[in-house]
Formats: sequence, structure tokens, C-alpha cells
Amino acid sequence: MGIKVSTGDPSSLYLPLGFAGLTKLLADNAPKAMKEQKFESYFGRKIAVDASMSIYQFLVCCAVAQSSFLFSSSREDDSIGRTGMETLTNEAGEVTRYSKREDATKDLTEAVEEGDKDAIEKLSKRTVKVTRQHNDDCKRLLRLMGVPVVEAPSEAEAECAALCINDKVYAVASEDMDSLTFGAPRFLRHLMDPSSKKIPVMEFDVAKVLEELELTMDQFIDLCILCGCDYCESIKGVLYRFSFILRHTFCQFLHFLNVLPFETYIFLTPHLCLSVRYQIPEDWPYQEARRLFKEPDVTLDIPELKWTAPDEEGLISFLVKDNGFNEDRVTKAIEKIKSAKNKSSQGRLESFFKPVASTSAPLKRKETSEKTTKAAANKKTKGGGKKK
Amino acid sequence: MLELRLVQGSLLKKVLEAIRDLVNEANFDCSGTGFSLQAMDSSHVALVAMLLRAEGFEHYRCDRNLSMGMNLNNMAKMLRCAGNEDIITIKADDGSDTVTFMFESPKQDKIADFEMKLMDIDSEHLGIPDSEYQAIVRMPSAEFMRICKDLSSIGDTVVISVTKEGVKFSTSGEIGSANIVCRQNQTVDKPEEATLIEMQEPVSLTFALRYMNSFTKASTLSDQVTISLSSELPVVVEYKIAEMGYIRFYLAPKIEEDEEMKP
Repeated sequence: MGIKVSTGDPSSLYLPLGFAGLTKLLADNAPKAMKEQKFESYFGRKIAVDASMSIYQFLVCCAVAQSSFLFSSSREDDSIGRTGMETLTNEAGEVTRYSKREDATKDLTEAVEEGDKDAIEKLSKRTVKVTRQHNDDCKRLLRLMGVPVVEAPSEAEAECAALCINDKVYAVASEDMDSLTFGAPRFLRHLMDPSSKKIPVMEFDVAKVLEELELTMDQFIDLCILCGCDYCESIKGVLYRFSFILRHTFCQFLHFLNVLPFETYIFLTPHLCLSVRYQIPEDWPYQEARRLFKEPDVTLDIPELKWTAPDEEGLISFLVKDNGFNEDRVTKAIEKIKSAKNKSSQGRLESFFKPVASTSAPLKRKETSEKTTKAAANKKTKGGGKKK
Repeated sequence: MLELRLVQGSLLKKVLEAIRDLVNEANFDCSGTGFSLQAMDSSHVALVAMLLRAEGFEHYRCDRNLSMGMNLNNMAKMLRCAGNEDIITIKADDGSDTVTFMFESPKQDKIADFEMKLMDIDSEHLGIPDSEYQAIVRMPSAEFMRICKDLSSIGDTVVISVTKEGVKFSTSGEIGSANIVCRQNQTVDKPEEATLIEMQEPVSLTFALRYMNSFTKASTLSDQVTISLSSELPVVVEYKIAEMGYIRFYLAPKIEEDEEMKP
């Protein structure tokens, strides 16, 4: 019956939903959709980055460099400081996001790395707030660095996903699971983490997520809404259910979500009724959220994504003269960007040769019944399987 | 069931030493045609394709197409335990998750069995079309190795240009620049020292020396190396493996600045 019971500690399933919950759900139920990749394997690719995280990093960096970037600090408690990211997204309102290249980004993060630790310590008790000024400064900085910047009409996640769907970029990098919900074919986590942390990049493949969960995209969107998204509250208990109860039942559940009001659904199957105490907020705009995910406000009317040489003078005048950065550090960072640019002119093999299906079945078998038949069907692609 | 007996066991040892610099893990594919491998380095810039044809083995049995994921460093560790004169047999049973390397001394007085765990490797297989190359250079492998090594002490990249005059390898770095030209040279009495150039049209491409240097690890397999160049394609650096196969390295060229990057 396809029952999948999580073996994890049940209490851990009462995690706050949203991102952590969805990741766990995918790890339990769609392991094939997640792949650990090395940072280098994205070499020479165009990647759309949701900049909110980076802006936060910039702010951290700026605090250390004692620049004149504005950041308001208040004596909030620790936890708010740590969730600074969320604060950012919510407060910035119309959040501006950028598309930029990994190399340059990596260099930037590297450039601030030394300062990072102190800064994080200092900032952990503060709330960092992004203002329009920050966004404009960041855009200006990126453009001076020669990195193309795309401004999203509304949601940046959606814009990044649309760029990816339309093949303008290879993948979307973000820390926010919403990218998947917006249907970004390839979604990368931890790409922007400092390289010193040595966290491998986690690549999510939406097509495989759907395949493994046996959901349609619409159902998956519903699932994400249930788990919690930026647009409406999560429903407590859903994740608990999903990790413990039959996948099939859940699909039905999603199906009913389409046709019935939530309140009535609760009594639909005995399985779900027994232990779940759904608390549906009175004003729960799930239909609105659904619409936002399905028909996001995005623009593809963007200039071609092109990287140019950094504007050295511009950078120095902006960072050193206007914002009081140390000139040596800025010059060094510019050098890094330049050398990264050279490196990126290396071509990738995939631009010349296209992947084909492998012809042989793995000797070491795990879940190969399907794979083997597929491989057999594709035999003609290579040298034939003739016996000697 | 798989059983491959290779009398010249040292070939396998050399093959492994030649590729493990470039890739750490790879799937070895076994089919009726032969024992092969295709793998890319982690940044997907270089690819190695190796084939040992079935005919080259003294005994070759492969009931169905198989792929065996191996950690090449571990495999090299095991193969280093084989003597250079030893006969190597590769064995694997259906459904098993190990492969066995058997080393027999030439006099048959010592037999060693090494069993290695296989691994699941999720790798992409690229389709490489047969293409006509604009220029093909054949030269002594030792010479090519020397050139790459010398140039890499000066710069990071090498420009390989083929003209009617010969093939030119050039680089430049912070301390200066270097140019090495090799002219066509057909020494009749020593074919292994010949340099041959077949050129349809002049071609000039830039490559990272780091990869070239790692390719030249295969020089032990063959006296001659063949370098095939086309402006639209990755370079192919090929070493023959004693009449029974080849090891080919593909390297994507460096792209000119203003050229469009693929998404």
C-alpha cells in the first residue's frame, strides 16, 4: 500500500513547518530528488540568486567594515537576530533580487569571510533591517562589479524560477524552499555558503520531486501551502501526518483540498481524523496563495544576462570614498573578481556533447528493476550488446 | 557473471594511474565489445574515455551489459599489489556488490585475490559523436609531456596552433612567455619518434595546462600521442593501449571573452 513511515524521532516532526519541514519531508519521501554536488560542478553556469541572503551578508560585512551602510539595530532578543533573514524578506516588502554569478559571489563572500565571525557575533543580538537604500546600494555595487541584476516585479523567488524555466539560467540558488513551489527546475541550496564551511551544495530536481511523491505540480503547490509559505500560515499537524501516514491517503487529501473547504475535509478519512487536530486560521487565503504560486507576477523582458569587467574606478569611488571601506581590501577584492572572470572563460563539456542514457545496468543493485528495463530499452545508443 | 583475463596486467595498472588524477570515482562498463569507462572531472571540463576491446583479453566473458562503480584510488591501491608481469583477472558475480581482482604470477606459483566493494555512482554519460577534425597531430608522447610540463612552469594556459609549418605551443605568464614549435618529422627508422601533422585548415585553441598535464600521465601506455583539434570542439588527446584499445581525453577549450555563455 505504499506506506512510508518515518523512522526519525517523532518529536522532531513537530518542527516549525515551512522550509525545515519540507526538506525533511523530501529527504524521507523523495530522496532521489536531492543530490549533493560540489561547488565546482556549477563552474561556468549562469545561476539566478535570490539576493536577500546576500544582502544580509553584505550588511554583516558592512558592519565590520564600519561603512556608512544603514542598518538599524534594536535590542531584540537573540532569536530575532538569528532569523534576520525572514525579517528581511518580510520587511523589505517589495524585495529586490538579483541574478549574479557564483564566481563573483564566492569572491565577495570570501572577501568578507575574515570579518564574518565577529560580525555574526556582534549582530546576533540585533535585528538587521534592509531599507530601500540598502537595496539600491547593493544593486549599484553589483552593477559596478559587472554582475547583471534583475529586478523582480514582485516575488524574487518567482522571477528566479521563471528565468530558470525559460532557460535563461541553469539553476536557482536560494535558501528558501519557495523556489521549488514556483517550479524552478533546478534549485540549489548552500551555494552561497562561505566555502570555508565546506557544506556541499544540495541540488533539488522538481521533476523528480513530483515523480517520487507521485504528485502533480498543483498538488505539490498545495502541499507547500499546507506546510507553510510566505503568503499564508501553515496548518499545524499536516507535516506530522504526511511523514507518518500513507502517501496515497495524502494524495487524496490534496485532491479534496481542491474541491472541499478545509473544515469539512477533516472528517473525510478515519486515518486523518484520528490524530490530527487541524487548526485552520479563520482568514486563510490559500486560494490566493495558490494563485500566486501558479501565476506569479514575473517578467522575462530583461536585458541579456551578461557579465562585464568590473568598473574599478567606480567601485573605489563608491566603496572607499562614499562608504569608507579600506582601499587595499577593495583593490584586492577587485583583483579576485578579475581572476575569477578569467577562470570562467573555460568551456564546459556539456556545451559540446549531450548526455545520453547509459547502456549498462549497475552490478551493484539497489532499486534497479525499473532502471534495468530502461537501460535495456536504450541499448542501441552505444556499441551494441552483442555477445562475442 | 563477468570474467576478464588480461595477460598484460600492467596495462590495467597504467590505465588506472593515468586516469585517477582526473577522476576519483567512475563507472566501468562492461559489454560484449569490451571493458570501457567514461568519466568527467568534477568541474565537467575534461572527460576521459577508455576502451579495452574484448579481443585483447585472453578470456572475455560478459553475460550482460554491466556497470561497476569503483573508487579509483582504492582500485589503484589494489592493483599496485599486482606485479608488473602478473596476469590480472577481473571477476564479478551477478547481484554481488563487489568485484574481485585476481593476480597470477607468470610462473603460476602465486595467486592473489583482492576483493573490492563497489559503489553507486550517479554519473552522466555523454554522447560523443565521431567528427572530422581540422588538424591532427601525432607526436612522441614523451615530447608532449615535456612541453606541457615546461609550459606550466610559465603560465596556466596553452595555446595550441597548427599551421603548415608545424604545431606551436605557447603560453605566457607573469614572468614572461614561451613558444615551442614542433615541425613535421618522419624518421623512417624510428617511427615512435615521428611527428606527423595532418591539417585541413589552420586552427588555434586555448586550453588549461593543468588538465593537459594530468592527461600526460598516460604517456607510459604509448610512445605516441595523437592530438585532434577543431575550432568547434574539445581537443582529443589519445593514447593507444597496445593494439587493444585506447584512452582518450577530451578537454573543453577556453572560450573567448565576448562569446556567449550557455545557460
